[in-house]
Amino acid sequence: MNANPKIPAFVILIACIAVPALLVIMWMGDAQKELLAAPDSTSDVAVASMSDDEYCSPELKRVLRRVAGACGLLAGAGRGCQPSDAKTVAQMNGEDFNALFGPMKKRTHIIQFDADETELDDGARAAAEAAWGDQGGASFFFVVSRASPDGQRKHNLELSKSRAEAVMNYITSRDKELQKQIGLLYLGEDYAQLSEEFCEWNRSRSSDECNQKEINRSAFVAWIDCAI
Amino acid sequence: MASNFELDDDTGEHTLPPLRPQGRPWLWATAAAGLGGALFAGVSTHDFITHLDRQSHSIHCSLVPGAGASLGESGCRTVLMSPYSSLFRTELWGGLPISLLAFAVFAYLVYRALATSLQPRLIKRDTGYLWLATALPLLMSVLYGIISTQTIGALCEVCLGIYISSGLGFLFAAMAHRGAEPTTGMSSPWPLWGRWFAEGVGCVALLAIIYVTFSPENPNDKKSCGVLAKAEDPSKILLASKHDRGTSAIMVLDPLCPACRGFDRRLEASGLGEQLDMDYMLFPLDAKCNWMLSESLHPGACAVSEAMLCAPDRAEQVLSWAFANQEDLLQIARESEAKVRRQITKKFPHVKGCLGSNKVKSKLRNSLRWGVANALPVLTPQLFVGDKRICDEDTDLGLEFTLTAMLKEAKGL
Repeated sequence: MNANPKIPAFVILIACIAVPALLVIMWMGDAQKELLAAPDSTSDVAVASMSDDEYCSPELKRVLRRVAGACGLLAGAGRGCQPSDAKTVAQMNGEDFNALFGPMKKRTHIIQFDADETELDDGARAAAEAAWGDQGGASFFFVVSRASPDGQRKHNLELSKSRAEAVMNYITSRDKELQKQIGLLYLGEDYAQLSEEFCEWNRSRSSDECNQKEINRSAFVAWIDCAI
Repeated sequence: MASNFELDDDTGEHTLPPLRPQGRPWLWATAAAGLGGALFAGVSTHDFITHLDRQSHSIHCSLVPGAGASLGESGCRTVLMSPYSSLFRTELWGGLPISLLAFAVFAYLVYRALATSLQPRLIKRDTGYLWLATALPLLMSVLYGIISTQTIGALCEVCLGIYISSGLGFLFAAMAHRGAEPTTGMSSPWPLWGRWFAEGVGCVALLAIIYVTFSPENPNDKKSCGVLAKAEDPSKILLASKHDRGTSAIMVLDPLCPACRGFDRRLEASGLGEQLDMDYMLFPLDAKCNWMLSESLHPGACAVSEAMLCAPDRAEQVLSWAFANQEDLLQIARESEAKVRRQITKKFPHVKGCLGSNKVKSKLRNSLRWGVANALPVLTPQLFVGDKRICDEDTDLGLEFTLTAMLKEAKGL
């Protein structure tokens, strides 16, 4: 047998190493092309942001911004709104003002008080906790308090103010820093009185009967899901 | 001493004795096993190289070479993304893949088996070398099998194909050696073995040089992807880890995110985590608490995050437990989040009374709001070295390369 093993061995060696070498060169070339053509990795990724719900139309935001500014929710503003202030900044009638809160029905809690009282009962405290705990990505917590049209208007204004502050004090009793997120709006008996329709909303006294007077002895609390 | 050569009756020249046929088929079988190993190693090398474009790609994960490509989590993906899949990772983006070296070794074994089978005589000198050569991939297979199961905790089918090919190659080479003629009347085999070994080293070196030479270049390598706009933490939402290592870092994570677990393990295995003063920022991708999502990617992550925030000094314990039981917790949470909360309370009684409270929910919200303040992308994991964010494409294969560069920059080197 005259086979010369050196020639086939050399050929086999070249063939065996050339195949992987060429494959690697080809794959590397493809990777280089893909790398240069690749888009920015985060270009299609959402960026973290506060909630901005569907109901936050530009018009609603404009109104909220005015109200929030006057009520101390925006930087540099004072805290607490007089009813006249609210009416002015909202630039709408009471019915339209209440309609603003319509889409927030599920998140809103109406904390009810006894006549001429500002103390939170167990149900009121539970409602305040529930409302506060449901912040999600909302930036501002609104407390809109009212009084029923019994007695003096001035007294009712003070009464609604005390009710709003009672809610805020309860929520911020563990952390004063939370005040920076809470806006108070006390309306007395003058402006945006609630209709009996609101008896159907989340009330702290849901098992009790409800009429228009009772629903207005209240503080209306909710996180607002609009980036203003 | 008996001669291996016989005198030809006609010519009077020395001729070779007839071949012993039983060894040759085993050589072909050895070549076939080498070819199988080369196929599996080639598939793995191809998968590795496709990821050099810094994008996500499917990875083959099957005992049938080239089959079972999948984009999802798999043992093959875990192993490929692990620091054990390549060498020189701090010098080269992704490093030099082990599978490439295996590719070269198997190609070389195919060559040696075929070359030996083409020899006019099958002698133990030649088959002995081949047998010895096949021991190398076998030893590496045993070593990587142990690393894969004991350290990485995952088994990849393509690797298994390589292990099986290695084992068969060794076995067939042994059988070929058994069937070969004894080596008699010849000088020492070492010079020839040395030459053959040099050929093998040359094959491996050639492929490695080609890989490094043609390695894709990215003009954005070593650069960061964004900075923290408001790194301050007035609400104390960042969970601190050890703080005596030098360079401050923040990892944005979701305790039930598989990618976060993988990243955490890669970081630990790389050893570079030892140089970081790591803080954790919780960013659960669970719509239960994260308003930025319309549906939960990792249900139950809010509950685990709350547990971590309840006792910051024991947060790492909770995180380790969550990582270890991630699949189970996600499964349970899909049925009922309350069950996850019960499991957490059972495992960590100290969170009772805190878990689910408004206070801890508020803290978790503040954590998410920190993400808003810093305009973080809604994804996990993210790593900030100092205030610079490591690019997402550099958090797996390119982690060591990029992180080493960022650490040097942070240290002013």
